Amino acid sequence: MAEQKEKKVEDIKKEADAKKCPVSKALYYIEEFLVGPMCGKCFPCEMGVYEARIRLKKLTEGKGSEADIFAIKKIASAMLESSRCKRGKDTANFILEWMATDVFKEHTEGRCPEKECLGLIEYRIIPDKCTMCGLCVEACKFNAISGEKKKKYQSGVLPFEIRQKRCVKCGDCIKACPEGAIVIVDVKEKTAQTV
Amino acid sequence: MANMIKLKIDDKEVQTQEGMNLIDAAESAGVHIPNLCYLKGMAGIGACRLCLVEVEGAKAPMIACNTKIKEGMVVNTKTEKILETRKFIIDLILSMHPLDCMTCTKAGVCNLQQYAYDFGIKESGFTRKKFGYPTDEANPFIKRDPDYCILCGRCVRVCRHQGTNVLDFMGRGVGAKVVTADDKPLQESACTFCGNCVDACPVNALLEADRWRKGREWEYEKTNSVCLLCGNGCNITVSKKDGRVAKVNSAGIEGSAEKYICAYGRFGFDCIEAETRITSPMKKVGNELQETTWEDAITIVSERLKKAGESAGFISTAGIMNEDAVVLKQLAAALNTKNIDTTASLYSDAASLKNESADIDSADLIVLAGLNPNQWTRVLPALDAAIRRRVNSGAKLIVVNSGDANISSVATVAIKGDEAKILSEIAQGIVSKGAKVPKEMVHALASVDPSDNAIKAAEIFMAANNPVIFSSPALYNAAANLSLIKGTAVAVPIESNAKGVVLMGIEGAGKAYKEMADKGMDVLYAIGELPLNKRPKTDFLVVQNSHMTELAKQADVVLPSAAFLEASGTIVDYMGRLKCLCSAIAPAGQAKTHREIFIAISEALGKAIKEPKDSDINKALKAKVKVELKPFKKKEGLEVNAEEMIESINASVINGSRLLWLKETEKAVAA
Repeated sequence: MAEQKEKKVEDIKKEADAKKCPVSKALYYIEEFLVGPMCGKCFPCEMGVYEARIRLKKLTEGKGSEADIFAIKKIASAMLESSRCKRGKDTANFILEWMATDVFKEHTEGRCPEKECLGLIEYRIIPDKCTMCGLCVEACKFNAISGEKKKKYQSGVLPFEIRQKRCVKCGDCIKACPEGAIVIVDVKEKTAQTV
Repeated sequence: MANMIKLKIDDKEVQTQEGMNLIDAAESAGVHIPNLCYLKGMAGIGACRLCLVEVEGAKAPMIACNTKIKEGMVVNTKTEKILETRKFIIDLILSMHPLDCMTCTKAGVCNLQQYAYDFGIKESGFTRKKFGYPTDEANPFIKRDPDYCILCGRCVRVCRHQGTNVLDFMGRGVGAKVVTADDKPLQESACTFCGNCVDACPVNALLEADRWRKGREWEYEKTNSVCLLCGNGCNITVSKKDGRVAKVNSAGIEGSAEKYICAYGRFGFDCIEAETRITSPMKKVGNELQETTWEDAITIVSERLKKAGESAGFISTAGIMNEDAVVLKQLAAALNTKNIDTTASLYSDAASLKNESADIDSADLIVLAGLNPNQWTRVLPALDAAIRRRVNSGAKLIVVNSGDANISSVATVAIKGDEAKILSEIAQGIVSKGAKVPKEMVHALASVDPSDNAIKAAEIFMAANNPVIFSSPALYNAAANLSLIKGTAVAVPIESNAKGVVLMGIEGAGKAYKEMADKGMDVLYAIGELPLNKRPKTDFLVVQNSHMTELAKQADVVLPSAAFLEASGTIVDYMGRLKCLCSAIAPAGQAKTHREIFIAISEALGKAIKEPKDSDINKALKAKVKVELKPFKKKEGLEVNAEEMIESINASVINGSRLLWLKETEKAVAA
């Protein structure tokens, strides 16, 4: 078995930066950091990063609160202060950099402005635009779209719908839809509309 | 003497020795710098980050455990920023540690509990984490509960440092776990159950297996004493509750090479309450031993002794205390018999045991001649651990042995062969390099041709500042010759007070132990646990011991003596140091200390002996011999199997405690 070369923190940062949402970036970074370059030789880093991952996950799942942001900030600044090596300090700096915007706060309110954090978004088909062509059904690997394909001269056919429980938010249906009828919305916004 | 250095810690002027780290320097000034992973005597690893302090002029906070003190340093251990960081770390640790201090055995001595208290953290502000690893409770000695583990790594490092090297981390980060190789239970690893990881653990992750609801630290009454179970005579602290021993810990100075006790010393205390304990005097009526009164027993024994007079013989273990030895000698004198000897004569001559004392902690070279200390077979385990610790701290080791010594694996140079010859070759190597050597030695060595290895060893010896030479008593003369060039030589006996009994005057003036044990005497008086299972040819046998041994079963009179931990006194340990024992608990039943019994007999003889005073002991200690050049020769007739001997003089301890489980398990694993 060829030994895989360990990723450097800078490489992970670069990969993370390919994402748009800072919360997603931070979570991706930390998950990669935990399985990769984290050496586990000092408490603030090994324990802090582990805790930060729990908190970031909560944020991306829409279960986050102000307290989580506070905790992550505290972890990062304490790591910056007390970590043993540069890797830990760099990690802290990256997190603090990503936290510099208001995006984290928006996540606690249920919005991911970049529509990237899966727990905060939903895929939805706009009924007016849907032509019931069935391409999305074919594209969906998870069988999450229900609806009957329209046949010529047939009436009474309902537009397609996404079954949220099955949807994993992979985005394949958006790519498949020729009408641009599938959109991503914030969970919170949607509920606000229905009320 | 090291240079003194002045520095300022928290506005306190501190003056202390050069080379110290900040934690120790602060401790000496009464300032505690919090830490969880630091171990005194080992280099700091800076894992817990609790010991961060601010040093004026430094850019960032520094870890006190691994920062050496410097002249004029100004250190702040309690700035707001640092307290904040420490609180953060404790908070994080608490998030993965059970909060059950109310039932936790370690409460009161748990470092984490103390720091949580100091920072006022009732409950962690972070997410509660639990990994649910199973507890290892498969042995009666050490319980390992990973749920409590804070991953400080102290146990791993202690185990590695003393050379047992059983524990290590599996995985990294917070999900890591301290495991043996392949995560096997301890008894299937190379664990010796010395339990020093238990002493090192700051929390409840490692604990004596039988401690659950048997009292907590503040309920114990503590006594410092010395273990008498082998030649090392380790310092121990005995904790007792309600008149019973609850646990035994090492009382070695924190951080010293000698902070170690083995499984015998730590867990052998069960034997005090063993079924085989003799609690009242016994005499043979017909073919059976029956309980009797002290008065009756003493009268019978004293009459028999009086009748026998000079044909009475005393054989004793060398594990009796100095005071016992002094009184015993007087008792023999009162009977006009010279036949008094100890088991020390099986493996040593008297002169070899009267040597000077040495300090292993300052040794930068250890020479081991004809000794095979081994933690696994528990032959002088503390010496083995101490040497390995010194070697791991940078000292060199030369092993000279005719057999395969386990410790050779960590030796700088190991030479196999005739020890006396090799020692003379090393000495000749030193001479040939032009070192200053007494003239007679140059003559004596003229015909010796050193081997390459011996020359290598000689070079190491010459480079050392403070060599300590440990030898078996049979090789002491040859070893002592080396010490004439540099350093100190010490003969290491197998029993705890072999040096003491010799210094107190039991030197085998009359018949030797072996002769008395083999050929018998008119009246034979056997004291303590002897490597003797068959009654020697004798008209009358008195056995004075704490446990019913095979020999005791064949005796005419059995006198119950106090077990170890039950008597006070002094011993002279293998390094020639006087050590004090304090009785931790009262003797079981009607048992009395050895000297109380001897005195009672002497009174019955009408020749009352007094308890010896400290000054008597100190006077006797001055009999130490000056080292002189002797021929490089091994003394004959002193070969014993150390492992077998230690096992047989501790038979009652092993058979009467959970150590029996260990012996059986070791046998089962080996098979």
